[in-house]
Amino acid sequence: MTNQLNATKRASSFRIGRNKLFTFLSQPYNVILIVLGVVCTITTVAPIVAIIEDTLKIHPGTIDQYLTGKTEGFSFANYIDLFTSKLAKTNLWEPLGNTLIISFFACVTAILVGGLFAFLVTRTNMKFKKYLSSIFIFPYIMPQWTLALVWRNLFNSNAVTGTSDGLLASLFGIRMPLWWCQGIFPCIIVLGLHYSAFAYILIGGIFRNMDANLEEAATILNTPKWRIVTRITLPMVKPAILSTVLLVFGSSMGSYPVPHYLKLSTLSTRYLEMNDKYAGEASILAVIMIVIGVAIMIINQQSLKSRKNYTTVTGKSGQISKINLGKVGKYAVAIILIFTTFMTSIYPLISFAFETFLPNPGDYSFLRTWNPSNLTLKWWITNENVTENGLYGQMGMLFNKTIWTAYGGTIFLSIMCALFAGTIGTLIGYAVSKKRRNRFANYVNNIAFLPYLMPSVAVGIAYFILLATNDHFNLYNTYALLIIVGTVKYIPFASRASLNSMLQLSGEIEESALIQNVPWFKRMFRIIIPIQKSSILSGFLLPFITCMRELSLFMLLCVQGFIMSTTMDYFDEMGLAAFSSGMNLMLIVTILIFNGIINKITGASLDKGIGG
Amino acid sequence: MKKLLAFTLACLMVVSCFALAACGKKETKLSATQEIIKQAQTMTLEELARKAIEESNGKTFYGVGNSSRGKSALPLFIEYLQTIDSSYNMTYEWQQPKNNKIFDQLTADSKKTTGTFAMTLIQDGNQIESKMVQTGILDTFIPKDWADANGVKAEDYNGYLALQTLNKIFMYNSTGSKTYTNCWDFVAEGEHGLFMDIDSELVGKNFLYMLTKDEYANQLKAAYDVLSAEKKAYIDTAVKAVEGDAKDFGLGANGKYALAWIKLWVESYNAQSDDGPICNTLVKDSATDQFGLLVYSKLRSVSETEETSKNNVKVAAYQDDYKGIGGYGYCHYLFVTDNSPLPWTACAFIAYMTCTVDGFSAWGKDIGGYSSNPTVAAGTEEKYHHSTGGDTAEGGPFPALNDKGFTWWKDRLVIEDPEYCASVAFTVGSWIELLTKYTG
Repeated sequence: MTNQLNATKRASSFRIGRNKLFTFLSQPYNVILIVLGVVCTITTVAPIVAIIEDTLKIHPGTIDQYLTGKTEGFSFANYIDLFTSKLAKTNLWEPLGNTLIISFFACVTAILVGGLFAFLVTRTNMKFKKYLSSIFIFPYIMPQWTLALVWRNLFNSNAVTGTSDGLLASLFGIRMPLWWCQGIFPCIIVLGLHYSAFAYILIGGIFRNMDANLEEAATILNTPKWRIVTRITLPMVKPAILSTVLLVFGSSMGSYPVPHYLKLSTLSTRYLEMNDKYAGEASILAVIMIVIGVAIMIINQQSLKSRKNYTTVTGKSGQISKINLGKVGKYAVAIILIFTTFMTSIYPLISFAFETFLPNPGDYSFLRTWNPSNLTLKWWITNENVTENGLYGQMGMLFNKTIWTAYGGTIFLSIMCALFAGTIGTLIGYAVSKKRRNRFANYVNNIAFLPYLMPSVAVGIAYFILLATNDHFNLYNTYALLIIVGTVKYIPFASRASLNSMLQLSGEIEESALIQNVPWFKRMFRIIIPIQKSSILSGFLLPFITCMRELSLFMLLCVQGFIMSTTMDYFDEMGLAAFSSGMNLMLIVTILIFNGIINKITGASLDKGIGG
Repeated sequence: MKKLLAFTLACLMVVSCFALAACGKKETKLSATQEIIKQAQTMTLEELARKAIEESNGKTFYGVGNSSRGKSALPLFIEYLQTIDSSYNMTYEWQQPKNNKIFDQLTADSKKTTGTFAMTLIQDGNQIESKMVQTGILDTFIPKDWADANGVKAEDYNGYLALQTLNKIFMYNSTGSKTYTNCWDFVAEGEHGLFMDIDSELVGKNFLYMLTKDEYANQLKAAYDVLSAEKKAYIDTAVKAVEGDAKDFGLGANGKYALAWIKLWVESYNAQSDDGPICNTLVKDSATDQFGLLVYSKLRSVSETEETSKNNVKVAAYQDDYKGIGGYGYCHYLFVTDNSPLPWTACAFIAYMTCTVDGFSAWGKDIGGYSSNPTVAAGTEEKYHHSTGGDTAEGGPFPALNDKGFTWWKDRLVIEDPEYCASVAFTVGSWIELLTKYTG
């Protein structure tokens, strides 16, 4: 009898458990969290494990073999040698120091430039805001090294850098000092300007929605202006500043092309230089980059926990008091900004276009003589590679199969990454918003965001080791590999945009549909997505644009000619500056067209991405 | 007892003799690809072509290389096979990985039973030796026709098969009055030659390793001997500073001169990303008195304008009174992968590139690249007239473009020896890495 009772109890608790499980799994957001939690954990943790293993592995023909006398197995030789050998300064400490310096000051520059610009656009009566607002994000749309190349072409001089004269030296005899032309300073400025769009989007978002009552109250109470700024305005934008630091620091740290072109030894440039003889030690550099990225995230989260919360959007006052710059001031400031943005956004385009008509790279004879014979169309229209045309055996850009294949490859890759990253990110945002106080949901949210904080070069290295040098599963030089890596890296764009927008949605909206027994797919496609379509689409647009001009992430994973960025890098390095300039132009125009079309059709745009 | 001892020793001797004899006879087991290579080395190009047609008709051929022109050579090879069998067809893919990744690619591919890549065209003898050959990833195939042309027997040939030797030579802008007539002039006080960074192009590092080999160290010493006392004084300081290192590395008597040249060079050269930009700088009016060490062929691509001319540069070694090394030579080597999916086709393709003018034409049309096959080299010269090309070039004459050919250059170049490079990579190599590079 007792046994029967126990059996019944067991059966009933099993049924209860099963029912609980069914109920749990009947909620789509639970399934999404479990599936994507597992997927994101694997795609984030596996490459990290692979790269750590590589730091311990003995690589034939490299220093670890020389030190251990073995051709296989594991050893700490790489760690010991990297940290203690005579080369530690060159291989580790100097690049690490430079990396931290440029990353830190790029953050400062981005925040100062982007923040000031955001303030002027949102809180003053400055003129030409619409134009300035759209032109300001151009440097972010352009490939990272665009400004580095422009800097080089503008300021290099034979007398100082020993290279061809840049435009200023060639036309006006202006020769800037070496610290201005190469090294830490230009890297900071270039990266700072490139990422100032982040600061503008994030800080601008808060300025735009900020309740002016607080500042007005302080003004009524005769509070000095500096005190209002330090005690009210700055604390309110503090979350945006911290987010900017989080994004810019990790991105700057993993930048390869900027320090490469501006001749600075950083962890990412050193990785590539050491890879032949010091493969294992180079992997340690990648691990260091990942550790710094994670540390920044932890510090950021700690400050999120400890800081006071400020409500920026109250729903009461939509009124933002605008600072009057004065009759002259509102034009003067605008003109200064128009000139500055012209130099950072328009001049590069003109410069690239002009470069494609020069007979030799950096040969500005035309500007001195105005003789049209000092210009050429050969970089565009040469349609054979038999006679010597000065194109290093390449056909002109219009007939160059490599370029057009790479262009097609880039479009395909960007679309696929945008679709995958956008969809997965949107689902994560939706699921996390539904279980916002759940620990596992927070974990999924964080693990999905982690790859963004890992430097691009480090992610590329990790995936190279995991999937491109693998004995059984080698995906090197396939779109599959690039799509996987791009998706993992760009999910955070979509998940953040999606989460921010989903959190604004009241749960009642979906609940009412649920009561009517409307299936989940219908709820998503008929209710949720249409309401937040512009934010969600921004989550697709950002991966697309970023992927179009990404080099650091993909350069180890495919050969040149596969996508535009690696092909541009290849042509530029071999001295075909006209090709890399023309391709840069093609990319920028394509991105602007896509951005414009999506903006026209859906209202989504780049500046609604991370800011949400 | 004595008899027993004698018998035991006798037995031991016999056993030892048999054992030694067995060791002597013992042959390492050849892999399937090596077996094919062994047979292929006895065949003519046409015989190999027939084997290739049999093996790869309708299939895809994957090659990987440091030179993009492998891609241009493949369709010519297919056309050649089609002259033997018009129904033959093969698709192909040629990869050119960046940033030294070719070695990782080949290593990863070698772990498969049957690899993806059929063959490779690869540079950097040092890494090839230590990472590819000593590990058994790549196999050398010596075409019979190539061996015949070089007067060697394929099975006895010990080195790698080079498709070509490329030269990087000292060139200087001659719009000023300065001249460079001795290889020590390039490391004189205040000189900053333009050169691809040794960390980004590793054959540059191999050039420095090779300088420490006796024959090149002796050349440096001979060039040093004819310098003026004033010039010697500057160099002597460097020689003294490295004397101890030369002894530690066990270098020859003139090894210290090699280390001194290397030290002065690394501490003075202005690192550039590629030879293209170096060439574009040197040919301008504004580059008066500058020099560089760069790939010769880059000069051909310069367009004449009001501020740029090929006549603005001189090849240092072409001057009659020039002393010492005129640059360095590095090879593009050809190998069959040990797990090649199409070993016969790989051998035929390699033979086609090294034994015919058409096969080499993808590279042969440029100056500064010399086929390792003397017959092909002669045929290439006959076809492209590189030795007089500068005189007849449009807008010329451009004396610097008249390539004197490998027979002339070989005594003036520091030629890469993979085994030597690998042997000093972690002695001289690590010492070089400790030198402070010039940063402006």
